[in-house]
Amino acid sequence: MLRRLRYWTNSARRSEALREEIELHLAEKAAELHAGGMSAERAQAEARRRFGNVGLKQEESREIWITRFWSELAQDIRYGCRAMAANKAFSSLAVLLLALGIGANTAIYSLMESILLRSLPVADPESLVVLNWRGRPPLEGSGKWVHVVHGLQGLFWPGGKGALISGIFPYAVLETLDHQNPAFSTLFGYCNGHSRNLTIRRQATSAGAEFVTGQYFHGLAVSPAAGRLIGSEDDRPGATPVAVISFATSQNRFGGPPNAIGQSILVDSVPFTIIGVAPPEFFGVDPAMSPDLYLPLHTNLLLDGPETARLYSDANFYWLELMGRLRPGVGMAQAQTALAPRFHQWVATTATTDGERAKLPALLLNPGAEGLGSLRRQYSKPLFVLLAMVGLILAITCANIANLQLARAAARRREMAVRLSLGAGRFRVVRQLLTESVMLASLGGALGVLFAIWGMRTLTVLFSHGQENFTLRAELNWQVLGVTAALSVICGLLFGLAPAIQSTRPDVMPALKYGRGGGPRNRTQNILVSAQIAVSFLLLVAAGLFVRTLDKLHSVQLGYARENILLFSLNARQAGHRAPEITTFYENLRKRLESIPGVRGATFSQSSLISAGSAGGVYRGAIRIGAVTVADAGVMGAGPHFLTTMQIPLLAGREIDERDQPGSAPVVVITERLARTYFGNANPLGRRITFLDDKRELEIVGVSADVRYGGLRQENPMTLFAAASQFSPDRVTCALRTPGDPLNYVRSVQRIVREADSRLPVTGVITQAAEIDRTISRELMFAKLCTGFAVLALLIACVGLYATMSYSVTRQVGEIGIRMALGARRGVVVRMILRRVLLLAATGLALGVPAALIASRLVGSLLFGTRPDDPGTLAVAAVVLLSAAILAGYAPARRAARIDPMAALRQE
Amino acid sequence: MGRKPRKNDSLPGSLDMLILRTLSGRDLHGYGIVQFIQQSSGNELLVEEGSLYPALQRLELNGWIDGDWGLTANNRRARIYRITAAGRKQLTVETRRYAQLTLAIARVMEGE
Repeated sequence: MLRRLRYWTNSARRSEALREEIELHLAEKAAELHAGGMSAERAQAEARRRFGNVGLKQEESREIWITRFWSELAQDIRYGCRAMAANKAFSSLAVLLLALGIGANTAIYSLMESILLRSLPVADPESLVVLNWRGRPPLEGSGKWVHVVHGLQGLFWPGGKGALISGIFPYAVLETLDHQNPAFSTLFGYCNGHSRNLTIRRQATSAGAEFVTGQYFHGLAVSPAAGRLIGSEDDRPGATPVAVISFATSQNRFGGPPNAIGQSILVDSVPFTIIGVAPPEFFGVDPAMSPDLYLPLHTNLLLDGPETARLYSDANFYWLELMGRLRPGVGMAQAQTALAPRFHQWVATTATTDGERAKLPALLLNPGAEGLGSLRRQYSKPLFVLLAMVGLILAITCANIANLQLARAAARRREMAVRLSLGAGRFRVVRQLLTESVMLASLGGALGVLFAIWGMRTLTVLFSHGQENFTLRAELNWQVLGVTAALSVICGLLFGLAPAIQSTRPDVMPALKYGRGGGPRNRTQNILVSAQIAVSFLLLVAAGLFVRTLDKLHSVQLGYARENILLFSLNARQAGHRAPEITTFYENLRKRLESIPGVRGATFSQSSLISAGSAGGVYRGAIRIGAVTVADAGVMGAGPHFLTTMQIPLLAGREIDERDQPGSAPVVVITERLARTYFGNANPLGRRITFLDDKRELEIVGVSADVRYGGLRQENPMTLFAAASQFSPDRVTCALRTPGDPLNYVRSVQRIVREADSRLPVTGVITQAAEIDRTISRELMFAKLCTGFAVLALLIACVGLYATMSYSVTRQVGEIGIRMALGARRGVVVRMILRRVLLLAATGLALGVPAALIASRLVGSLLFGTRPDDPGTLAVAAVVLLSAAILAGYAPARRAARIDPMAALRQE
Repeated sequence: MGRKPRKNDSLPGSLDMLILRTLSGRDLHGYGIVQFIQQSSGNELLVEEGSLYPALQRLELNGWIDGDWGLTANNRRARIYRITAAGRKQLTVETRRYAQLTLAIARVMEGE
């Protein structure tokens, strides 16, 4: 084998040598003949004659080295090319369908690969471990919070069976576990620093920050692109504030990593020195985040004020995320056994009551190779749904091409029969047919890659819908291309095998006899068509459900204006403003914004209405009306004329306005539902609400209509609008009501804010409509993609149906001819064909309906206001499918009706 | 020209053996092998010249002979073939098989 390979590698030289050898042979022979008395010319001719066909002998000699398999493969490929060229319509249709199918799969797979499968770009990612804990939910049935977690900054997510999982810990856990840790060589922590005001050479922008402990970069084994990375000496209270910036930031702001080192920057008006630049491929530990700025953990003491000190001392405040690197030779299970008891022991000492002791969280180690995976939690289900859809599309594409091949195989049966009866081995013929199929599939795959590149761009845009600094990097890497190639070959084999075996069935005689057609009816084809129809129905139902969901979400009564509102965010605290001056600053800015020509109103609140709740309220503690506790009410800090600007109807009293100053009596406006729930029919105006934790009494001055607060999917919650000026929030979301397109006013806004304070960047500029759409981006994406997929599937199924019917009409020319000769009208023939079409479609539906009912239950959690078994959707899908089927069957039916009985009979 | 020698087609596969036997005595190039077989068989055997080169390639692929560039007696550049150790072993095998075959044929002929 090795010798063969070597021959392959220098085959050109070898064949040259062979040629020279044979020439020498001929020359010597001629010389001998010449010496024997022959003329030189004759001698040469004689030498050649005796040798035989020189070219053929050369070929034979060469072929000894190249195995038969390869030479036959080359032969098959040549033959395949000819066969493909001979049937251009079929080949191009098949290649196009395959390109769509394989391309869609490649695109979705590449997205999955980038979100779900790719490892962190650090050394040896397999030995990284994320620390989580699992526990019972803190809220008791009575609505009381009982848990060792007294306060938190971070996320919980459901862990199944009513349990919660979280990745945040008190700082003390880092110290406890880091001490003589038997399982980890390093343990490090980090926490999201959110967006900060980054000033470089007096230019302020907003930058994402990550607080990291001193061991962070060492534990991840990252080496700097320039300078040095944060070390343990940088992460202690009182250390010189230093920062590491991302590679992209160094390029955008300093023109390259080396220039950035040693530069002074302001982070929220605190001076830092840049000591290093992270490598280009590094994006932190969460593929969704990609911070611009890495700061030592303890610098949060400088940035977030003195109350931050509590984070380090309070063993019941959970906020720090932890990751560890396993010691060589230590497995994850081993680490779990070693550390879980230690964590349990420690956490038990932090419990203050028996209730807390009864539900202590338990340590849970997870693989850290893929990073934190907030994207993974958010997108894994949608991605699997999408992958299932494109998988189905590819399946029906294969079924379809198998179908077309079957039809063609029937046409080629004579050819095959001739080849078989002339002595070709059956396996040899099957192999040749399979080669043809795989060639088709490979061409489809190659074209599919082009389609996938386009698809990936579109998908990334759809997925990132409106998200700032979305870091998803779907790309064609070798893994993705490998999967595509494998997919193509598998497809080729799948759709090639059945026709190949069928067309080479050993009963040669009937095929030779029948010639053009006749023969037994093809059951396989009918099954394939029905299956395609069933799958298309499935996809149509999915599309219907998601479009309906989107429609429901769009028709939700917001209770406030959606159009003509411009939103943008400001964080004056990060620019150096402090209470109480910050209140005046925002109010003055509001007045200036209001005076922009054309603007009909300007106000602010502590977040946009739709994203309220997730952005944090001005007050989150207990609320009481008299002795009654108000449960589940959100508090929103709102500026003057908030209701007017947002066009929320005021039902009674007044809204918050300029009269409500920091020193004046605290006031609140409540929504109708809150008023009805707690005051019944009594007039709430003038009554008081207590913010218990703030020890503050607020007077109810107005009642507004209900609004969709904190997301479209929420039922209208009870909301309180408190005067923002009386809570002095750090950051606000300004809202401008404009005539016409709100984005026309962005320049004026930026100018006014710059004039007010040049250190203050304007962030998150977006229209209210877009902000609302952003909260339903997933539903939007699903509706668009599913509709596209369903149309594609329907198209493929119709092509399949059309081809099958055309083929069967061609085969039945004789039969139809006889019927017509015996007096059948054209209408009868058309109906006969269409009846068969409908029978196929009905079979497909019979298969599809139960499948759809089962499958739709799996996507139930992605729907809104729509039942998974929505009968309307099912009915519409069925009607669409049947109409498409009739349309596809009509052309062959007409062709059948136009058959000339005489011509048909003569052919028989 | 005299009598035309018989072509070696009576025993398929014996060409390999003849080449190996020829090369076991001396290193030769292709034409030399043809001539040697013809001469040493007393002009009884004529190697079909066209089949020689495929056969040489086959033997080389099996590792029984080794070809290398060298000079012929007339000082011309040619590929000179040399038998390898594996080739000698193969020659023994083929010689034995040949002997058995001829013996068997002889028995049949005598029996008549």
